[in-house]
Amino acid sequence: MHIVICAKQVLDPEGVNGYALWGRLGVDESGRSFDTGGSTIPHIINAYDEQATEAALRIRDDAGEGNEGDVRITAIASGDPAAADVLKRCVAMGADSSVLVVDPEVAVADGFRTAKLLAAAIGELGDVDLVLCGRQGSDYDQGAVPAVLAELLGSPLVTLASDVRIDGNGDGAAVRVTRALPEGEELVSAPLPAVVSVSNELGQARYPSSRGMMAARRNPPAERAAADLLEGDDARVELMRLIVPDVQGHCEVIDGDSPEAKAQALMALLQGQGMFDE
Amino acid sequence: MSEPVLVILMPPGGDGLSNAAAEALGAGSRLAGLSDASLVCAVIGQDIAAATTEAAERGVDRVLAADEERFARPGGDLAVAAAAAAVEQSGARNVLLLGNADALELGPRLAARLDGASLMGVIDFSGSGDDLEVTAAVFGGAAHAAYRLSGPGPRVLGLAPAVAEAPEREAGRTADIEALTVPAVESRVTVEQAPSADEGPRLEDARVVVSGGRGLKDGDNYDRIRELAEALGGMPGASRAIVDDGWAPAPEQVGLTGKIVTPDLYIAAGISGASQHMAGCSNSRVIVAINTDPDAPIFNYAHYGIVDDCLEVLPELTRLGLELRAGR
Repeated sequence: MHIVICAKQVLDPEGVNGYALWGRLGVDESGRSFDTGGSTIPHIINAYDEQATEAALRIRDDAGEGNEGDVRITAIASGDPAAADVLKRCVAMGADSSVLVVDPEVAVADGFRTAKLLAAAIGELGDVDLVLCGRQGSDYDQGAVPAVLAELLGSPLVTLASDVRIDGNGDGAAVRVTRALPEGEELVSAPLPAVVSVSNELGQARYPSSRGMMAARRNPPAERAAADLLEGDDARVELMRLIVPDVQGHCEVIDGDSPEAKAQALMALLQGQGMFDE
Repeated sequence: MSEPVLVILMPPGGDGLSNAAAEALGAGSRLAGLSDASLVCAVIGQDIAAATTEAAERGVDRVLAADEERFARPGGDLAVAAAAAAVEQSGARNVLLLGNADALELGPRLAARLDGASLMGVIDFSGSGDDLEVTAAVFGGAAHAAYRLSGPGPRVLGLAPAVAEAPEREAGRTADIEALTVPAVESRVTVEQAPSADEGPRLEDARVVVSGGRGLKDGDNYDRIRELAEALGGMPGASRAIVDDGWAPAPEQVGLTGKIVTPDLYIAAGISGASQHMAGCSNSRVIVAINTDPDAPIFNYAHYGIVDDCLEVLPELTRLGLELRAGR
């Protein structure tokens, strides 16, 4: 069983969020990057991809003690050379190896280009049974990569997984997935090879052990050049400019001597507005 | 006259169009107007006569109807095949989808299959032809981004909720209705157990929503949220953080990756107000925030705020709500 995890390096969305909420988020002269007045927002692994890695590791854990070798896990990413950090994270968590597609275009917002590069890199690996992706990048929130990958690889796609298991082996092997849908849980299965996107309902990803981190340092990603995998720039989604909307503060604070008094004042106010009229 | 604009709808059988579907026709009509194009609507489902009639009455010029049993709940491979057939039969370059969990899969797959491009969570568009610019929220709603889409195939746009108003309904208005032909498709994904058919009230339709976050301090305290929601005749909601913690079930999550709600009253208790969450509730008529931290971002969005421990405020609100109901 060979599992590929697709990982993305993102500008920490909580950092962007924080600057936006304090009114300190701007856009620089290019119009395509944020300006935070000289301070730096860190780049981190997309949290959904960290959970996809966790899903892969749980499949290996399920194989049982002594059988871990039956499940091989490869992490791949495309991006600038700094994106190697997210692959090191995946390896530190327990992935066996990693591949970085170095892309000078760094088309962070173009999931179509990313998916084409990743599909080519997966094609080179050859014997892949299962591709796990995060449900979407927590930067541009598009979720295009798993869907486009499935189309390019000709594989079935299952999105929004909260649980991923492998049933059987050999030709009859299938992936069984619990999907977290707005209307509740759905249980589906698909033959391998398949692409599965993982949602946050999967739960907390494990933290790398110090032994894992040491291993990751000795096991850097293999590098592939984007130009060797994809001819031309083939951009599909071009980011023209970022816009920071105004968040208007107009909050009326309800005062009172006690929590109960505040609750009473609030209810009286809402009632006065006819909020609870039939 | 340029290529038509296509709106793809997959309505549940028997009924007319949902509000979201009618609003998508409004967005389609505006997009068509930008480039002097006609508006085509594909209606894919089972027992869709009422939906087809309503689409015509809401200004669609041409309807492609696929009314078959296999489309009762089209998903995955079948939805992509049906949507691709609709794009080809209509000759559309710009394609609109309702932004829901299915569209997250359908949009980019449809675009990839027809060698085009897609964008989800679309909140605005401007320009026409190759200069069409499309805006969507990024970083969980902390900012927006304007994009251009290119490629030989269609531009597939997944709409965020409430982007446009539904066009007025003109009783008796008709459109050209033709059958949409969809080839046989073998679905590779097998549904073993569908979500339990929940006929109960939907969070999206609730007039009052009471949501809780980590400020509840403990999973058991989510009961305080349920109690107040019930006392006010509303429904409980949750931040993503406490859903991840297992304090609240996933279907109750409000936010970008959960439900998008627009109640008359939204009470956020112990929720800091991350953009991710606010993307799911910021269109509520009145937002009340209860949080111990006066600097919590939620107060930037709230109309009324209580700076205090929600665990002490919630029971009193519940008591008053019950009293109000008893007095009726």
